[in-house]
Amino acid sequence: MRPFSYARPASLGETFDLLDSAGPGEIRPLVGGTDLIVGLQSGRIRPDVVVDLKHLADLPAGIEQVDGRLRISAPTSLTDIIGDARIRTWFPALAEAASTVGSVQIRNRASLTGNICNASPAFDTGPALLVHDAVVLLSSRDGDRRVPVADFVLGPRRTDLRAGEIATAVELPVPETPLRASFARLTRRRGVDLATLSLCCVVGPRRTRFAFGAVAPRPFVVDDDSGVLADPSSSPEDRDEVLRAMTAQASPITDVRGGADYRQAMLLVLGRRALAAARSRPVQSQPDGAR
Amino acid sequence: MSAPQIGVSTRRVGGRERVTGRQRFVGDVRLDNLLHVRLVTLDCARARIVAIDTTDAERVAGVRAVLTAADLPDPMPRFGPVYADRPVLAVGETRFHGEPVAAVAAETEEAAEEAAALVRVTVEELPAVLTVERALDPDAPLVQDPCLRKGPLAQTNTLREWHFGWGDVDAASAPCVVENTYTFPMVTHFAIEPHVFLASADHDGVTVWSAIQHPYLLQSTIATLLGLPIAKVRVIAPDPGGAFGGKQHAKFEPLVAFLALRTGRPCRLALTLAQTFQAVRRTAYRVRMRTGFAADGTIRFQDVVTDGLLGAYADIGVRVISKSTYLMCGPYRVPDARVHVRALLSHTPPATAFRGFGTPQVAWAVESQMDEAARRLGIDRLAIRLRNLAHRGEEVVRGDKPADGDWHEAVHKAAEAIGWGNPLPPGRGRGIGVAIKSSATTGASYAIVRLHMDGSATVMAGTSDMGQGARTVLAQIAANELGLTTDAVQVVMGDTGVAPFDLQTSASRSTVFMGTAVAEACRDVKRQLAGMATRAFGADDVGVGNGTVAVEGRTLSFPDLLVAGFAGVRGEVIGVGSRRGEADTAHPLGGAPSFYEFNCTAVEVEVDRETGELLIVKHVSVADVGKALNPAHVEAQDEGAAIMGLGHTLMEHLIFDEHGRIVNLGALDYRIPTTKDLPLELHSLLVENEDGPGPYGAKGAGEGGLFAVSPAVAAAVTEATGAVIRELPLTAERVWRALRTEG
Amino acid sequence: MTGATRRDGYPVRVTVNGAARTVEVSSTETLLDALRWNLDLTGSKECCAEGECGACTVLVDGRAVNSCLVLAVESDGLDITTVEGLETGGPAGGRLSRLQDAFLEKGAVQCGFCIPGMVMAAQALLNENPHPRPDEVREGLAGNLCRCAGYQRIVDAVLLAAEEDA
Repeated sequence: MRPFSYARPASLGETFDLLDSAGPGEIRPLVGGTDLIVGLQSGRIRPDVVVDLKHLADLPAGIEQVDGRLRISAPTSLTDIIGDARIRTWFPALAEAASTVGSVQIRNRASLTGNICNASPAFDTGPALLVHDAVVLLSSRDGDRRVPVADFVLGPRRTDLRAGEIATAVELPVPETPLRASFARLTRRRGVDLATLSLCCVVGPRRTRFAFGAVAPRPFVVDDDSGVLADPSSSPEDRDEVLRAMTAQASPITDVRGGADYRQAMLLVLGRRALAAARSRPVQSQPDGAR
Repeated sequence: MSAPQIGVSTRRVGGRERVTGRQRFVGDVRLDNLLHVRLVTLDCARARIVAIDTTDAERVAGVRAVLTAADLPDPMPRFGPVYADRPVLAVGETRFHGEPVAAVAAETEEAAEEAAALVRVTVEELPAVLTVERALDPDAPLVQDPCLRKGPLAQTNTLREWHFGWGDVDAASAPCVVENTYTFPMVTHFAIEPHVFLASADHDGVTVWSAIQHPYLLQSTIATLLGLPIAKVRVIAPDPGGAFGGKQHAKFEPLVAFLALRTGRPCRLALTLAQTFQAVRRTAYRVRMRTGFAADGTIRFQDVVTDGLLGAYADIGVRVISKSTYLMCGPYRVPDARVHVRALLSHTPPATAFRGFGTPQVAWAVESQMDEAARRLGIDRLAIRLRNLAHRGEEVVRGDKPADGDWHEAVHKAAEAIGWGNPLPPGRGRGIGVAIKSSATTGASYAIVRLHMDGSATVMAGTSDMGQGARTVLAQIAANELGLTTDAVQVVMGDTGVAPFDLQTSASRSTVFMGTAVAEACRDVKRQLAGMATRAFGADDVGVGNGTVAVEGRTLSFPDLLVAGFAGVRGEVIGVGSRRGEADTAHPLGGAPSFYEFNCTAVEVEVDRETGELLIVKHVSVADVGKALNPAHVEAQDEGAAIMGLGHTLMEHLIFDEHGRIVNLGALDYRIPTTKDLPLELHSLLVENEDGPGPYGAKGAGEGGLFAVSPAVAAAVTEATGAVIRELPLTAERVWRALRTEG
Repeated sequence: MTGATRRDGYPVRVTVNGAARTVEVSSTETLLDALRWNLDLTGSKECCAEGECGACTVLVDGRAVNSCLVLAVESDGLDITTVEGLETGGPAGGRLSRLQDAFLEKGAVQCGFCIPGMVMAAQALLNENPHPRPDEVREGLAGNLCRCAGYQRIVDAVLLAAEEDA
């Protein structure tokens, strides 16, 4: 590991001071560290300063409901997100996806904002965030900026994060009507693994939305507004035709985790399964104990 | 006198240290004044080294040495268990991805790392030989310098060639001839403990710390390389944190010893997990097999060409190839056999021993052939095996050691446990496979047993306890022979300065070889006790049992006798035992197998036809162990072997790019099974007929569980789907592709 | 520590196995390094150094964490439990925890290198879920690799410890 200095600011203001004092690329925020430290160890990431965001008085870990949105602050661990009743009720696909990220040990440290900012094409929460219209809250001395995750992640390891900004939260609009959502992924083994591909499906009254991960430079969303996928009486052939058109927008590559043609074919197979799972999912409108 | 200690599942000796974190592994060894070592490697397999500039590296604060080939004796010192072909540092050219061209020793790890990155190596990348096909290509570059090799093969990439067989295959005919090619990829050991090496030059010798399976071979290797007497080289070998063959032979111990001598300081090199992938791997095989069958499934002939792909240096991989292919006909009666075998060099990490020692590669082909013949002939796959499987006393290699176990009993047991023949739900299939491995052929083990005044005993044995439980089983043997509980036995291992010579911990030999040596040392103790009783009591009628001595009708405990025999000045009784297997120069392997390790594995597999994913519903492994001295530990090893077998069957393979670099270098993309990859049901069953050459009729155990996993799973996939696959691993993607071709 | 520009000599105050400890670390040290080299608690092991093997698992504020993926400097103020903290009555002549004893009883230990991390992951699981189902144990330990692959006996040991706890 190349030496760097470590800073533990006590407030957002102090954090912005630190950001101002360093040039771009030389400073790295630290939350869970599960990606950052691997990058530091390998020499892929070589910062001058690492800024720990877990001790800001004005950015405590936690999930709160604000103006019809659920706000997950940056220091919140995936374990706490998975365990949150509101997340499990309103955003079941996100809870499912988050629970496949790494191992228990990883989830106890890793954060959702970190997961997003790392911008791996295979990041497991990507499709779920996309189908749920998640927004990244970016804060700087000049104020806040809200960018949909779909736009924030630009490509492999590339985001729309600007100099002087940090990602402070992820916000999810609480759906007015309950959503039927599901998550599916393909891996090389049953235990802890990086995804060969992952996807999410949300079935609304008419519109059905899919998001795909690990089959393009970044996760992406495709909507079916024809109503065929949402219609319980549609034929499997008709549904397949729609699904094929949707999955055709993927551009998978061949790598150590799988061949491009295999990934393409599996999008359809897992897409069918995710659709069936989402449609059969019992929905609960209010989480236990939630207001 | 205590109850018998044999055949009981005593708790692991050393277990308490392991659950409390107190066990000191080699990486936990602390030495004062230590220097940290980093290797300098290139980003490709094969390159000509044009120049090495160490100026910048040497300027880094804290750097004490930057060692290159120029700093080592000329000619470059070389070592290896069969051929002394491996240089301490690459000279002239690198031959595999990860081969070091220089090494840095510095006061801190950070300084060593920084300096290693500053060693400027000017290289010219050269085309690399990475596959069997390329190694056999007459136009391919030579992996090894022909000057270092002898004989007509020196101008080729074939390191050695063998022709085994009997009868006349050309004259043999069969109504059903099955001919196929099978491949088995490179896989890596992935011991959870990465290799760590330390060396310290002290007084007039050197001490080396390495979690090595064969400390005495390392001792003589270091002595030879440094020109020291064996007595001046001490190898301290803490219990390995998993080895599986990957810690048998010297790797970077010679380099670290040279650095310790040069700097006058203790030096430590800890490999990363990724570097262990570049240090040890299984030998890859390509087997072309033509098997003749009668209409009733009887094997008529076996005609085989096997190519084993070694790395850049022979290591023990060359022996893996000859020893495994010597049993290329499996555990079957074969009237005519012709086996042509080549050991090929390539620009890949040196292949070494890996649990099974080539048997999984051989069984993959042999057993898949049996399944295909059964399908073609419309014979049950269990029946075709039972038809050909050798009975006790029947030869499997003409003129060599006949079957030494009731293998049919094992197969019946496996078939019953898996529910062979019962109806299956759709999408499911079953498979069954058998295999034998030749155990150690030759070798020597010595043991010392010291009986103390209070009747407790210290056993000194050179075996390495790498998780197989050698410490426990040797304690059990000594306890049983001396009438003790294992709590009263201390087993001292892992230090060539303390324990007497043992050739190696490999080939499942320790229970048989070292176990016999320990039992014999105990009997030596008892002979001495008999003499002591005669002298002390002037009695002729003395009988020594396990823990007691009968002197003319009186029964004395060992401590009572020792007190009487040694009187006031005290002392101890020192027994010595050995077991030697002498070399037979006329035998193709240098000696006949001391026993066969036989296994039958049966599985039930569910196939997801859409994704190609496999679910192992049930997995049964039956091992013929002669006598399980500690049943729980034998079963635990067998279960572990079964899971390791599922690893190379379902997911493991090293993938190389065109530069000869391993693409999946590290835990992230080289996958091994996790708790969630366990079969839904896993059963380890034992056959115990007390027919082994070891103490109490024991045979070696612990490797068999992985021999036949691959063919059993592949046959289950075929039964479930019709798809036949002849390459490994059976990844979901590969199964999916096979299913698409199928239909 | 705000705005620090140095790279070593960071004082870190942690509670390890119930005792308050202060160590000086450099920014590049991981919590695992600090435990092993600064505090001589070598029970936690290093294998993959990227959070895949679990050999370095310790409890941080009661939760299982890969100590190779935590910087030593960021652990200031944390409550850490390592495998050395499981025995009752101190390390010398201490009594094994139920879980440790169950590992030995079930023959779950082979080479033992993964075991400290495995035991800590299992302890975290039992802390949260005292009576797990077998599939929950498999899930809870999926981040801990064992190459001797005594997984079945390891799962059985955790179930036994949970049962004894009933």
